[in-house]
Parts: sequence; structure tokens; C-alpha cells
Amino acid sequence: MNPVIGVAVKDIKMFFREKGTIFWTIAFPVLVMLLFSAIFGRETPFTANIGIVDADGTDISAMAISSLNGTGVFNIRLFENKSEALNALNATEVRAVITIPDGFMENLTRQVPAQVLLAVDETNPDVARLIRDIIKTFFTEFCKGIYEWSNATFPEPISIVEEQKIVGERIGYKEYILPGMMCYPLLFSSMVASTGAIVYEREKGTLKRIRASPIHPLKVLFGKTLAALLQTAITILIIAVLGAFVLNPKVNWDITALTPILFLGSMNGIALGLLISCIGRSPQEASGASTTIGIVLQWFTGMYFPLEYLPEYLQQIGRIVPMTYAAQALRDVMLRNITLKGLIQPIITLTASAIVLYAVGIILYRKWVEKE
Amino acid sequence: MIVEKSFETNLRADEPLADEVIIEINGLVKHYGEVKALDKVSLNVRKGEIFGLLGPNGAGKTTLIEILCGLRSFDKGEVTILGLDLAKNSQKIRSLIGFCPQETLLYDLLNVYENLSFAASLYSMPSKKFKERLEVTSKVLGIEEFIKKKAKELSGGMKRRANLAASIIHDPPIVILDEPTTGFDPNVKREFWETIRTLKHNEKTVLLSTHDMYEADALCDRVAIMDKGQIVAIDKPHVLKEKFGGKSSICIRVKEDQTEKALKLLKPYGYTFREEEIQIFTENPWKLMPEISNTLLGNNVLTEKIEVLEPTLEDVFIRLTGRRLLEES
Repeated sequence: MNPVIGVAVKDIKMFFREKGTIFWTIAFPVLVMLLFSAIFGRETPFTANIGIVDADGTDISAMAISSLNGTGVFNIRLFENKSEALNALNATEVRAVITIPDGFMENLTRQVPAQVLLAVDETNPDVARLIRDIIKTFFTEFCKGIYEWSNATFPEPISIVEEQKIVGERIGYKEYILPGMMCYPLLFSSMVASTGAIVYEREKGTLKRIRASPIHPLKVLFGKTLAALLQTAITILIIAVLGAFVLNPKVNWDITALTPILFLGSMNGIALGLLISCIGRSPQEASGASTTIGIVLQWFTGMYFPLEYLPEYLQQIGRIVPMTYAAQALRDVMLRNITLKGLIQPIITLTASAIVLYAVGIILYRKWVEKE
Repeated sequence: MIVEKSFETNLRADEPLADEVIIEINGLVKHYGEVKALDKVSLNVRKGEIFGLLGPNGAGKTTLIEILCGLRSFDKGEVTILGLDLAKNSQKIRSLIGFCPQETLLYDLLNVYENLSFAASLYSMPSKKFKERLEVTSKVLGIEEFIKKKAKELSGGMKRRANLAASIIHDPPIVILDEPTTGFDPNVKREFWETIRTLKHNEKTVLLSTHDMYEADALCDRVAIMDKGQIVAIDKPHVLKEKFGGKSSICIRVKEDQTEKALKLLKPYGYTFREEEIQIFTENPWKLMPEISNTLLGNNVLTEKIEVLEPTLEDVFIRLTGRRLLEES
């Protein structure tokens, strides 16, 4: 056989026998294409939960609520009173609260300027902007609709009066993205790096020397965990310092609240990396899988944009990833001034998932070491 | 030259073995599924000797070594190392062994010093002791010149020495080497043999596996010949050759037109003639060679070659297994 053809045949065979190569050259671009299509190619806009307090309680206000519900943009939750609705807003159960004040219908029928009150969660600036725009547009159209229906003249459109500083200050994308970027190391310094550190030993055979020494396998694992924690801490510190100096964001740097969240998020990342490295049949497969999972998960954890941007099924994926809770908790601290006391729920969630994932990782790691 | 002086190689024929048994193996059995990798292996390694496991690939050498180093479990038998039962004291025993596998287990991005430091940390070695051991090990193995070089920048021979240094940095009484010179060119191989001899000089007991009969012959005080998971013979190399290697011989080649005349002259000695060479088997080849040489020269037969062929461990292996060692390798 001609040497050129021989080399070509050999390379083609090797290509199709190397699963990692096939994945990175074929499957990964396809995956990214599908993912981006899902995120940015949606036919309908995002949906958001909003709360409505109908203090007017008239047919017109009921019609407004019904029409708003009919848009399909909002999942509407009705509240009996305003304080209940604002509590839900503060707990991020809803993204905005619309209050239809008493006398709304009366003002409309008397041709007096009518208004609705709007309180928006400003910690998601893009979501807040979208909600604000949609609600303004809706009430403008609703006003026109009422005019056509009653054939009356309404000189003043319905005005939207925003209630200030209900949930944090109005922030920009730089404030929004910084906590997200501080979560990036949880995936790539903790998860991907810990996978890499473990599979390297396997790939290079250096695990043999370690196993021939008296050191217990768990000590090796703990050493690697510590290294990954330090790597993550350093990376987060660099991102935070650079972010603070370059972006000059108006965020709350509550170290006592941020530290446990970042530590637990990192432990979750390390545990995931450990699982992947033990499940992977070969070092290359484990390393590739970890990198891919890291790349994919960064879009599902609310790091770069709110989860609400995603279709519901992708939001569901995001909700099973521990880093999503870490990202949300970081934003709660940095943008909403939530203190450590207010973080009990995410801390419990992150602790539980870290313990479960790390425990399973230890079991798999021990089996894997014995098998090696 | 990596060491300042070379040392006595094998034990002499009459030199006694040390009394103290360092490694004692009795009836060791290991299966990989249906395949019996070790079949009732029994042997003793004595203090201060270089003990060789000689056999082709698949003979069970690496399996045996990995069991001794605690890297593999075994199915049956008893292994005692420095008086400790391997089955019960695996972790303790690992600290007494310096294992140097066939492959170079260095971290490419670390320099030699950092690699040794990591190896020392596996044995919880204090930094002061590490510095002391580093000094000794560097001198013994001649790694000072490249101690600050990254592993990926080292030559093959340097890597092997650094690898060995990492294996003995904790000053173990036993050093186990798995195929230590595989892939070396002859010069590097001989250089590494000297390195191994320095270990013996430094009062280490060395157990090594090899499929190189010359290595086993040149380096080992005693050799266990392994085949298909069994020990087929154990003794000093020259004893094995005496027992199983057959007689020595004198091999003669003369000018082609004088072959017939030479064969007539050498008939009284008894010979075999094959591939233009006359071979005379004898118990005392060195005594007989001058006589044969004089006989041929006295009758104007010019020799192109006359040499003594002594039995090798290859001959021993053939005699014991019916197969060639190198072919199997």
C-alpha cells in the first residue's frame, strides 16, 4: 500500500476508535448547536412569576388580570394584601408585584387618570427590564381595548407608578454578572480540575507509586480535595478582586455570608469531579466528560443570565445542579444584602448535596483504586 | 560514570548466603479469572543479596512483584517480609519496600527535586530527613547534575535513575525493581547495573525481575527461573549453569579448504560439526584449548576462530522448559 494511503487509513481507523475524539469533533459541536438554539431560538419570550394585588376588585380589574394571564408571558399569583405579595417578592417567589389600587375602575369610567403600582425585583436587571416593558405595553393596549369596548373617551392612558427600592437597588449587568462569574471556578477549578488531577495519575501510571506507598487512598483523595479547594479559592479571589477594581460594582461584600456558600459550592464541584473521574472508563473519557459537563452546566446555573431565560425543561435541569443554588445565594448576598441568617435554605441544600455526592465519590474512588 | 567505584558483582561459588531471610514466600497462588498467574510459588530472598526473577513475559514475574508491593491480592499461600505477614501488615510492609516499576513514574512538569519531595511525602518523611536522604540518594545514584531539571527534559537513563531515586528516597531495606533496564541500550544498561550494585553496597536487599539472561547472570547473586507461573529452578547463576546448562565447549572455525584435515585431526576429541563450525564438548575447556590449538597449528591448519563457549542461563531455561527464553520474550 502507498505510504500516504497507509497513513490515512491508519489515522481514520484511530479516529473512529477514539471515543473522545469523536465526541469533541462531532458530538460536542452538535450539542452546542442544540443548546444555543434552545436558549436563543425560542419562539415565545420567557415566562416569569408575578404577583397581583387586586385592591379594586371590580369587573375591569378582573378583566385586566384575565387579559394579563392570557398573554402567556406571566404566571400570575393573586395575593390578598400587599404585604403578603411583597414578602413573596423578597423571597424571589415572584419577580414583580402589580397592585391595582382601589378606585381603578372608577377612575377609568370618570375619565380620571388611572394608575397601577409596580414593584419589580431589580436584582435580575434583564428580567426586571423585560417585565417593566411588557407590563407598560400591556396596560397601554388594555386602555385602548377598554376605549374600543365602551366607545368612551379616555384622555389619559393608564400610568404605571413604580414603587422604589422594594427589592434592592436598581443594578446593571456588571453587578448581575459578578456573582455569576464567581461561580465559574466552582465548575472549572473545582469540578474539571479535580477530575483532571485524579485521571492524570491514572493516565500516567503514577498512581502505582502512590499505591505502593503506605499512604491510605483516602489521604490521597483528601489531598487532592484540598488542592482543588485552594485552586478554587485563589481563582475566585482573582475574579473578585479584578471584578471589584475593573467593574467597580455596587455589591455587598459580606465575607461571612459569601465564604460558606463558595466553600460548599466548591465541595459540590469537587465531588462531581470525583464522580466523573471514577465513572469514566478511561482517563481521556473522564477528562473529556468533565470539561463537557462544565461547559454545558455553565449555561444552566444562572451564571450569565437568569434561569427564566431558559425554556422550562432546561430550567428543571438547572434546578438539580448545586451550582445554581450557589449562584442564587451569591446574588442574594451581593445584590440583595441577605445575611448569613437568610441563607439557611441554600446552605442546607448545598451541604446535603455535597455530603451525598462526596460520599458516593469516596465509595467509587475506593473501588476504582482497588480495581486499578 | 555515575558512581565513583564499582563493586563485586555476584557471590562467588563458595561464598555463603546470609542467614537472615528477608522475603519468604510459600505456596503463593494467584488467578486472573481462569488463568493461573502464579502456581504454588515458593522462594526465599536473603539479606543483602540481589535476587533475580528470570523468565519470559507472562511468566508471572510482575504479578509476584506487585503482590509483594501490596498492589495485588493473592488467592493462597503465605508471604512474610522482614518477619511481617503480608496479608496482615500490608501498609507497614509498603513502608519497608522501595518499588521501582518498569515505567517511569515521574511527573513531567515537576523537576527531579520536586518529584523526590513528593515521593518522600508519601512516606510522611520530615523535611530534615528528606534533605539528608536527598543528599545520600543523589550521590549514590548520581542525580545531582539534573536535580533541578523537569522530568520531561531528562534523557531515558536520567529518568530511570530519578525514578529509582524516588523509589528509595525513604531508605527502604528492600528494593524491588520490575524489569529495570527494559528498553535501554547496552551502555545505559551496564551503567544502570552499576547503579543497582550500589544499592547492594548500601546494604539493600534487591529483588528484580528480568527477561534478560545476561542481566540476571551479571547482576544477580541468585536467580529464580520462572515459567508459566511456576518457579522451575532457584540458585546462584553459575550453579544453575553447572546443573542444567550442559557441558562447556570449544568452538573452532578453520579455513574452508582445511576443514576436512581439521576434522581428521580432532576426531580423537569427539566433535559435532554444524554450520562450518567444529564444536568439542568438554568439562575443562580452558585446559583443553591450548592442546587443540597446538594440534591444529602443528599440522599447518590455520584457525579463523577458536573460543570457549560456556553454558548460559538461556541454556538452563531451554533445558528446564524446552523453549528459548528470548523467543518467549
